[in-house]
Amino acid sequence: GRDSLVFLVDASKEIVIGLIGCFSFCLMMTSSHRDLMALVFYGTEQSKDPSKSFKHVYVYHDLDEPGAKRVQEVDALRGGKGAQLAAETMGSGETSLGDALWCCANLYSDIKLRLSHKRLMIFTCRDKPHEGDSVKDRQARTKSGDLKETGVIIDLMHLMKPDGFDVAPFFRDIISPPEDESELGLQLEPCDKLEDLQKRVRAKEQKKRAQARLHLCLGEGINVAVGIYATAVTARKPAPIRLYRETNEPVRSKTRTFHTQTGSLLLPSEIKKSQVYGKKQIVMEKDEVDAIKKFEDPGMFLIGFKPMERLKRHHHIRPAAFIYPEEDEVKGSACLFSALLTKCHERNVFALCRCVSRRNYPPRFVALVPQKEEVDEGKVQISPSGFHVIYLPYADDMRTLDPPQCPTASQRQVDKMKEIVSKLRFKYRSDAFENPVIQQQYRNLEALALDMMAPEDTEDLIMPKVDQMDQRLGPLVQEFKDLVYPADYNPEGKPAAKRKTADTGGGAEKKPKVEVPEDELRAHVQNGTLGKLTVPVLKEACKKFGVHTTGTKKQELIDALVDQLGQ
Amino acid sequence: MDVGFSMSNSAPGEEPPFELAKKVIQKFVQRQVFAETKDELALVLFGTDSTKNSLDQDGQYQNITVHRNLMIPDFELLEEIEHQVHPESHQADWLDALVVCMDLLQTETKGKKCDRLNISLLTDLNTRASSEQIDVIIENLKQAGITLQFFLPFPVEDDEESGRDADRGSPGHPGMGKGLSEEQKSSVDIVKHIMLNLDEENGLDEIYSFRNAIEQLCMFKRIERRPMAWPCQLTIGSCLPIRIVGYKAVTEEKLKKSWTTVDAQSNKKDDVKRETVYCLDDDNETEVEKDDTIQGFRYGSDIVPFSKVDQEQMKYKHDGKCFAVLGFAKQHTVRRHQFMGTQVIKVFSGKDDEHAGVALSALIRALDELNMVAIVRYAYDRRSNPQVGAAFPCIKKDHECLIYVQLPFMEDLRQFTFPSLENNKKFTPSDTQLSAVDSLIDSMMLLEEDDNGDQKDMFKVHHIPNPAFQRHFQCLHHRAVSPSTPLPPMEPWLKAALECPDVIAERCQGPLEEVKRKFPLTEVEKKKKLKTSAQIFGKDSGEPDAKMAKGDEEEDYNLADIAEGSVTSVGSVDPMHICQQLTRRLEQLLSNKNTAYFMKSITCIQAFREQSVKLGDANLYNGYLQSLKTSIPNRGLEVFWDLLVQDAVTLISKDEVKGSTVSKTDADQFLVTEEKKKEAAAPPAEDTGDVDDLLDMM
Repeated sequence: GRDSLVFLVDASKEIVIGLIGCFSFCLMMTSSHRDLMALVFYGTEQSKDPSKSFKHVYVYHDLDEPGAKRVQEVDALRGGKGAQLAAETMGSGETSLGDALWCCANLYSDIKLRLSHKRLMIFTCRDKPHEGDSVKDRQARTKSGDLKETGVIIDLMHLMKPDGFDVAPFFRDIISPPEDESELGLQLEPCDKLEDLQKRVRAKEQKKRAQARLHLCLGEGINVAVGIYATAVTARKPAPIRLYRETNEPVRSKTRTFHTQTGSLLLPSEIKKSQVYGKKQIVMEKDEVDAIKKFEDPGMFLIGFKPMERLKRHHHIRPAAFIYPEEDEVKGSACLFSALLTKCHERNVFALCRCVSRRNYPPRFVALVPQKEEVDEGKVQISPSGFHVIYLPYADDMRTLDPPQCPTASQRQVDKMKEIVSKLRFKYRSDAFENPVIQQQYRNLEALALDMMAPEDTEDLIMPKVDQMDQRLGPLVQEFKDLVYPADYNPEGKPAAKRKTADTGGGAEKKPKVEVPEDELRAHVQNGTLGKLTVPVLKEACKKFGVHTTGTKKQELIDALVDQLGQ
Repeated sequence: MDVGFSMSNSAPGEEPPFELAKKVIQKFVQRQVFAETKDELALVLFGTDSTKNSLDQDGQYQNITVHRNLMIPDFELLEEIEHQVHPESHQADWLDALVVCMDLLQTETKGKKCDRLNISLLTDLNTRASSEQIDVIIENLKQAGITLQFFLPFPVEDDEESGRDADRGSPGHPGMGKGLSEEQKSSVDIVKHIMLNLDEENGLDEIYSFRNAIEQLCMFKRIERRPMAWPCQLTIGSCLPIRIVGYKAVTEEKLKKSWTTVDAQSNKKDDVKRETVYCLDDDNETEVEKDDTIQGFRYGSDIVPFSKVDQEQMKYKHDGKCFAVLGFAKQHTVRRHQFMGTQVIKVFSGKDDEHAGVALSALIRALDELNMVAIVRYAYDRRSNPQVGAAFPCIKKDHECLIYVQLPFMEDLRQFTFPSLENNKKFTPSDTQLSAVDSLIDSMMLLEEDDNGDQKDMFKVHHIPNPAFQRHFQCLHHRAVSPSTPLPPMEPWLKAALECPDVIAERCQGPLEEVKRKFPLTEVEKKKKLKTSAQIFGKDSGEPDAKMAKGDEEEDYNLADIAEGSVTSVGSVDPMHICQQLTRRLEQLLSNKNTAYFMKSITCIQAFREQSVKLGDANLYNGYLQSLKTSIPNRGLEVFWDLLVQDAVTLISKDEVKGSTVSKTDADQFLVTEEKKKEAAAPPAEDTGDVDDLLDMM
């Protein structure tokens, strides 16, 4: 099913302007292009809705997949001009939240698709929208009840007003009850700042979806149900879609495996998998290849505990995950999980587990690092309580390095550097840096989609602000350099220029072609010693013998040559 | 390897030294073959009945056979060792054999670059060696830079140690038999003399016992890669560069080789071709040429065409290689769980540049003393995407470096909120519960104090070889050696290496029982353990599957088409024709008997039913469903039927369509009582299960 989100926005003046930011933010962040979104204003002068039956409700966008046009339309409401436009098109007037909710219910019922997740966010800074009109209040309660019955989750995104915002008299009955009682207080606290509101919207908008649900097995028969969540995933540029040149319609790709000679399609049972080692072909069934990877069923199996300082910083191979108990699967999970969390945190230890996260995945060892709940001043949860799952490297993953022997710095030199470090201090925040590559791609697409002349400029936040740094450091840099570098030393130059004398021509001179005589090459094939040759030599050899290879990896080149010459 | 007659002697109940020595060589060669090292290997046998070596002259160097010259080891060699190396009935002087090996190494490595030359001698030392030449031999070994290793049936002790209790080992260690013979004793002295001459300090460490060696060789070699230096400059502002060099220190290693697809009959790769075609999303699936396609990207619901050339032109560009400090932050603000990427880079000062060394050392020490970390922009080269990351100071006894790890971008983060565990009274553990967990932690601490009072880690993950690789090679090896037998079970040592240490497993039994008592855990009976088809096949079902995650997208696509195609076509004018089309598609889907296809089939049947009700014609549908039911056992479609039952897709009853011959109760019973009896109203359908018959019936 698809996810859907309706923004129901109080059209009283203050709120509109700020909220547009939230909205376009959400548009950008929607996890899937198939998600549906709507933007509805209430308390407007003008009315607009598909059924034409509600007054003072303005359906700016009905529930649909957001596209370029919508982004433009929402953008139009931004800034001073936007406010003017909003005032002209919608204005503000009488308020009936009941009607607005009813209208939203209609939006939902008009959707023929199956929706897996329905959320409605009410944005307002008025705690008594009907100014005590009890009929309207009652109507709103009934309508919200109807909505909630159909599985819509109603959230309140409210901003603080000078005289405070009291949820209790009216909105408490409108919104969906929180996931658990403890969240209640948190949710009902209004936001002081718009940024907080944005954060809150974002936190709500991101549906947590467990990557996997499995058992944390402490010992024979002691299984705690947990969900694994990915809290940080490397965002990549979205993958391109192939389009037909003539019509720009998407095309589908089909991959077929067929027999080269007969041309008939090959069924899975008609193919096998193979690898060559020590000049011998080793063949296995596809099933066997999968079976080799299987060690045990998915789960986390406790090995023991270690003090936190035993978790080495450089033992890192992939981003961490997060686990949280699944009370719905095994009752009592939350309590044991909570006890384990409390004690691990208190004693500053982590739990070491063997972890099989999916079927047919070989085991990995993980450190479960306790995390206590943290909230910020805006009462937004920064870190939830649970365990971080840190993946640990095996012996194969550790590379042997030969650290160079170097003189160490004197305390005077270190002290000078300390001054430099202190001058360039800043407070690190993990969400402070945008990915310039993705931002640029997004801006480019935006420009193309919205027919803009040029993409909006992106600021590269991970570029050092060199001028500012230089200014802050002042004479310190020179002082440090005087302490560590001799007068004639050029730190930007090449090292002592021992071996570089040969190609000072800027590398323009092409290296002489490297070739190996044919008999020598054949001898290498015979003895299996091709690996000793370098990649350029192998490439040259491929060319020479007319071996066609798509690969550029050494092994691929070797395989190709062996195929050709070994016969 | 010594294959002389004394090698087959053994005390009762013990494996003869010959077999053990053979095992050592086999294990060693296996490791070499699978590690695909470029090391070359020769095999010289001595004590053989025949003689074949280049020094064979005037009755000298007899009974020594060069079995294989210096080559990269392969399966051929393994097979030869298995089938051609047997115990023979002569004896040869092991020092002569050593000389043959030295000669072989020297002649066959001429003109080759070798990092190391080594001779491993496997023998029981049971021949009298003539020690006259020994000093010449040692001198030659030293000159040629050849190292030596001895593998013996018994352990050799240090003189001082063995002097203290001279008889230690003699009866105890297997392989010693009744103690050493005179020949062996004198040979051991020669061996020690040579080894200590070559390396005064550690010479004796290179003398192994067979058993010891077999144990150490049981696991396949870990994957090793030569570290690649990444020279760059660390910059602070515009005028403070420090020459550095980075090395990947930790990264998830992958197997070097991947599987190729071959034809099952011929085992040839060339007989199989994979081809990707592109087709339009229309009824005919019109194929289009790859060249007639362009690329586009989604922007919300729109698709924006964006050619590769334009994309390249407009994409984010940067100046290439860089390691630039953005600023410095407190170490604790960079949290461990926020580390991104798949690697750790160690940064040292530039090669042969002690000034850079001092400058970097000053930075490392300054950061360490201030508990700070450098936040840097890192770009590997011009083509790769820049990252933001943290460089931590790392000061070890013998070296200093920065440790670089990638940090997240804003886009990478997902701020999930979870209900608080602490403030929830339902889940707050009691004091007794907490203390049960406390003692569990006590009993399962993986650190123990050794004799010196130091903490010793009993379970170092980074010392365990990746079990996936070990298993992979074990199976490959098995298949190569015995192709027609099923794959072997997991090696016991590997299984054991992944388990909790025995001491801990024993120690935690009590506390675990206590935890079990104190924390009641009950598996929640799912309201419906039987899920509906949508839950089972829905993409976001909780149960992930590695295979699903990667592959089956393609199939799904076509299926969706067939199913959706049929559903939409119901609306058109000739209902009779349409329904026939539907059933045909259904049969098409069901013939695949793949669970993923079943869901589509159910969608079809539901659509069929819906339309039939709308048209007021129940017979076609009821007839089809009934015949389908009878054919279930024959066609092995029970799984599908269960799904149909759970989705409650039953016959159309009189209540729904007047013309139906099925009563409401019958319709309900239809799904429930499967074995009871065949429906009365059903047309007499044969249990053929044949698709054509079913269709003809329509």
